[in-house]
Amino acid sequence: MATTLPKINVGDDYKEKYGFFDPEKYVFKAKRGLNEDIVREISFMKGEPEWMTKLRLRSLDIFRKKPMPEWGADLSVIDFENIFYFLKSTEDQSKSWDDVPDDIKKTFDRLGVPEAERKFLAGVSAQYESEVVYHSLHKELEKKGVIFLDTDSGLREHPEIFKEYFGTVIPPADNKFSALNTAVWSGGSFIYVPKGVRVDIPLQAYFRINAENMGQFERTLIICDEGSFVHYIEGCTAPIYTTDSLHSAVVEIIVKKGARCRYTTIQNWSTNVFNLVTKRAMAYQDATMEWVDGNLGSQITMKYPSVYLMEPGAKGDVLSIAFAGKGQHQDAGGKMVHVAPHTTSTITSKSISKAGGRTSYRGLIKVHKGAHDVKSFVKCDALLLDDDSISDTYPYIECDENQVNIGHEATVSKVSDEQLFYLMSRGIPQVEAETMIVNGFIEPFTKELPLEYAVELNRLIQLEMEGSVG
Amino acid sequence: MPFTLEAVEELASLHGEPEWLRARRRASFEVFERLPMPSRSDEEWRRTDLKGFSLEGLEPFEQANGAAPSDPIEDAAGVLRQRGSEPGVVELPEELARKGVLFMPLSQAAREQPELVQQHLFKGVDPERDKLAALHGALFSGGTFLYVPAGVAVEKPFVSQFWSSGGGAAVLPHTLIVAGEGSQFNYIDEFLSPSLDKPALTSGSAEVFAGRGSIVGYVSLQRWGNHAWQFADQKVTAEQEATVRVVNVGLGGRFAKTRVEAVLRGPGATAELKGLFFGSGNQFFDYHTLQSHVVGDTTSDLLFKGALRDTARSVYAGLIRIEKGARHSDAYQANRNLLLSKSANAYSIPMLEIMNNDVRCTHGATIAPVDPEHVFYLQSRGIPSATAERMIVHGFFGQVLDRIPVGQARELVESELEARLG
Repeated sequence: MATTLPKINVGDDYKEKYGFFDPEKYVFKAKRGLNEDIVREISFMKGEPEWMTKLRLRSLDIFRKKPMPEWGADLSVIDFENIFYFLKSTEDQSKSWDDVPDDIKKTFDRLGVPEAERKFLAGVSAQYESEVVYHSLHKELEKKGVIFLDTDSGLREHPEIFKEYFGTVIPPADNKFSALNTAVWSGGSFIYVPKGVRVDIPLQAYFRINAENMGQFERTLIICDEGSFVHYIEGCTAPIYTTDSLHSAVVEIIVKKGARCRYTTIQNWSTNVFNLVTKRAMAYQDATMEWVDGNLGSQITMKYPSVYLMEPGAKGDVLSIAFAGKGQHQDAGGKMVHVAPHTTSTITSKSISKAGGRTSYRGLIKVHKGAHDVKSFVKCDALLLDDDSISDTYPYIECDENQVNIGHEATVSKVSDEQLFYLMSRGIPQVEAETMIVNGFIEPFTKELPLEYAVELNRLIQLEMEGSVG
Repeated sequence: MPFTLEAVEELASLHGEPEWLRARRRASFEVFERLPMPSRSDEEWRRTDLKGFSLEGLEPFEQANGAAPSDPIEDAAGVLRQRGSEPGVVELPEELARKGVLFMPLSQAAREQPELVQQHLFKGVDPERDKLAALHGALFSGGTFLYVPAGVAVEKPFVSQFWSSGGGAAVLPHTLIVAGEGSQFNYIDEFLSPSLDKPALTSGSAEVFAGRGSIVGYVSLQRWGNHAWQFADQKVTAEQEATVRVVNVGLGGRFAKTRVEAVLRGPGATAELKGLFFGSGNQFFDYHTLQSHVVGDTTSDLLFKGALRDTARSVYAGLIRIEKGARHSDAYQANRNLLLSKSANAYSIPMLEIMNNDVRCTHGATIAPVDPEHVFYLQSRGIPSATAERMIVHGFFGQVLDRIPVGQARELVESELEARLG
């Protein structure tokens, strides 16, 4: 193992593997910038009902009125007028891989999406720019009544479920970027798992930004009915351009009585993408919501998956890792809002900064009045690989009830000299020893991933580490 | 609005202050007038509710009045007694004066030791940080100046007692402590007032400059009445090899916001920041702490413990900041909250900003009720539940009580806690 490590530089690899771009071909591309006409146009293109058009316009208004957040990363560099808000790259969505337009197919082939589908996925959705271009779901699941569609089709085909839940977990006025998303959303996944149905193998969505200055605003809505289970995985990449792209998604999840939902993200945007995402789940009686959130790419990420624990017995879990290299700021974490008594939550955060990168853990534990017998624990570990890197921890604990047990712990450290010495004295070269230590550090995260993803993640970390020394 | 430039001048005249200090006050007053009141859209004030507080109707300062119910700690090295907003009266043994120790009202020091005072006053505490800090900068009334020359060690503590019995006025003492190289001493600020009907603005701020190798203890005993609003700033600056121990005891006030900040400026500097607060009724405590490691090989250790009953509330927000290049910094921060009633609530925000990898940095926060198992254990040994709870709270505070450097002050706090726990 010691001698077989490939010598690759981080940037080069991203370029090779994800950083390519295809010449832009599209059937419709909205003008740059954001105004009411664009919003109407998007809605018109999609043939949406009037209530959605109105909601979009109202959200645009909210977006304009809300100030930019003043905390966290510096977002003043985003030029909202220089972004393309809608880009449709193909006329139809394909059910068969062969029908996907060639250049787009090539893209996802290079990213290994169909291969992954064959191997271990129950359903796949691939979004290219603003809309989903390919979609498939195992027949048996379809028969059981599982709905797995892109969100646009979800609105068309299941308007009653859609209208009941859309925007209820994250209203447009929640924050500036949820308002923006509600105004210009396009694509994303719409999942409904009926009562008692367990989807044992994961569903996956793959998000790809190809065009320059593109804004991707996917909108995901997942409803797990009573006693059901689903594991949803999303992956993201984009080409490397000199100008910035914006990814601002909204993910709403409803986990009903006794159901369990796991949502895994491997975010590996190129380092010119601003990734500003609002993710929230409502967990009802005895339901479990798990966010497994990996942030490796992007220039700036601000993302705090949250769980509202609405009824007794609900459980929330956030497992988050962040890796910030040169020029990156990962401002990630989690929020647990205990509305009901007898609810529990844990947040585990692992962050690694190197080469001047900055990782920030930002989290909230909120216990509402009346939510007694709540247990919550937050643990944050940060690893700083060199002198130039930065790590922050901002855990907020707001507790309005006394019969609770809340704990928070955090440590910040470097790769320990003793551990390094131990490994090196056994003939393991330094880079490899450090990689082993880092992999050990994030193990609680990788062991929660499906095997294929864990392997991929380990490899990514290995490449990042290579770059850090070589 | 009674807080006018004329009031600033009148106060300065009352204390016979030199022109440079008047100019300093005027600069802050200008900022005070310009800034808006802090609001809940400011991050620092998001959880801090100023409802019910108004500057309208408050007198800008208070005439001397009545005698304090208790004398300051006996057996002190030096005592300063201040009543209302007027300059304090000092007792200092001849022997210490001969060694060069300066212990006097701040305004007297401004006249007699202009250089020393000018060099330090408001160089730690920022008088322009927000509207209320600027108000303090413009209208601080009285306070203490303590200078202990290089190499002088004083075994007994210096004590300042600030008493306000009027209500309806602003009483804003300011403590300035300068510790020469290698000096050693302890200092206690005691803030006292009876509980009155009229709200008052009473805040004691403090600046401590710990010179190279000095060992300084600073204790703040806050026992304002239940009508008092406090917005205090404490700033400690530690030079090379200096050790500073700061203990905050918060018992009084309707609303008590305190910033406790330590800046470690020289290698080998150590700051120990401890705090305990006990809230009952509708009291509100807010502590914002900072451990700033400007250079490496520095240590800071923070522990704030609070117990709340009735509808009392608290906010703790602390930041450890390790600057770039501050290698081998060792920082610890813990906030523990004990909730004794269903309606009490505590917010805790322990934060880290680390810009160096060669550090040891940990923090933790907990919020929990009294462990029923502990109560059961004590009750099973025949101890009534009220007593059991008192013992548990006492035990909970033990870790901080033990760090109060003056025995008598420790006893005072213990008996005060005892009385409040009833």
